[in-house]
Amino acid sequence: MSGLVASAAVCEPARLSDLGTLLQVLWEFLSLSLFSLGGGNTLLAEYHHLAVSQFCWLSNAQFADLYALAEAAPGPSSMLVGLLGLGASWREGPFWSLLTAYGAEAAILLPSTLVMVLACLSWKRLEHSPWRVAFERGLGPITLGILFAVGLKILRTADTNTPGVLVSLVVCGLMLRTRISPLWFMAVAGVLGGLGLINR
Amino acid sequence: MTEPALAPRPSLRQLFWGMLQVALSSFGGGLSAWSQRIVVEQRRWMTNEQFLTGLTVARLFPGPNQINMAVYIGADFHGLAGALVALAGMLLLPFTLLMALGLAYFQFHTLPAVDRVLAGVVAAAAGMALSMGFKILDQYWNDRVALLLAALVFVALTWWHVRLIPAVLVAGPLAMAWYWPHRSGQP
Repeated sequence: MSGLVASAAVCEPARLSDLGTLLQVLWEFLSLSLFSLGGGNTLLAEYHHLAVSQFCWLSNAQFADLYALAEAAPGPSSMLVGLLGLGASWREGPFWSLLTAYGAEAAILLPSTLVMVLACLSWKRLEHSPWRVAFERGLGPITLGILFAVGLKILRTADTNTPGVLVSLVVCGLMLRTRISPLWFMAVAGVLGGLGLINR
Repeated sequence: MTEPALAPRPSLRQLFWGMLQVALSSFGGGLSAWSQRIVVEQRRWMTNEQFLTGLTVARLFPGPNQINMAVYIGADFHGLAGALVALAGMLLLPFTLLMALGLAYFQFHTLPAVDRVLAGVVAAAAGMALSMGFKILDQYWNDRVALLLAALVFVALTWWHVRLIPAVLVAGPLAMAWYWPHRSGQP
């Protein structure tokens, strides 16, 4: 876990007011879009790679904070990409930040939206095609493997003390066994953090 | 069971307001249930069967499920324009709210009190992330090939530091070949 912190320290953040860099960022999100399997969460580790290791917009802790923020706020959690865009050009002021945020979110959604429109219009033919069956069955196990890798990555990124890891494990168990809204878990854990019981 | 007659095809404007209503109603969670309630029961744009077909398509194709569902509903009535309008209706409010939260975060996250609370929230959120894999593990429990594939992908991403796109591009076609339906017997 300490290895991640060391690599972040030597990293030089790219400037997004430079049009070339902005286009590069948009391109990264455009190309990730179609790999958003199993409901979108498969991309979390890639977002971390882009934001923390490759472009150095955020520290590990900031990435974990933004992930938690996107999970806690109403609406689809894939809006995390907007927050990453915000962080990417925070130094350039709020105008650029918001522009990058909206741009990044549009980039991550555009390709999958276009595919979805085509799928909707041609579903009658696709439904019984062997391609559809093979795609659905083949990508399921791959999604499973990715989700485990993503879970571990986020746990390492959170990098909390032992009580914090215990809370993570308990929340994981409760998510699987109960139908309690995860907002409660975050609220209770937030209080524990405020009291100083969980830190990083 | 006789379904009540469907309402006439919604205009672009109605699509936008309908999706905005879905987004607003789901502010406590349960987006999928709300969109079914509003689109099928309240506004009667689709039959329940049509809605469930939409969910199947939304889950199958890349992209976040709820967002794909909005795209499906919009595209079903008005093609690409409908899809974009439905998407805008669904995302406008929550996204703007989240960006406001984000601006506040970057302004205040260095305050020790804020950071302490966030450390706790992050621990809970990490638990949620950890549960995602376990949640779908059951369906593959009796399929050894699936478990092997999943384990390989996990090891490649976690220990060999393979990036997601090459991993999927290699493992995807192999898995599709293995699961290609036989001419007879497969449902």
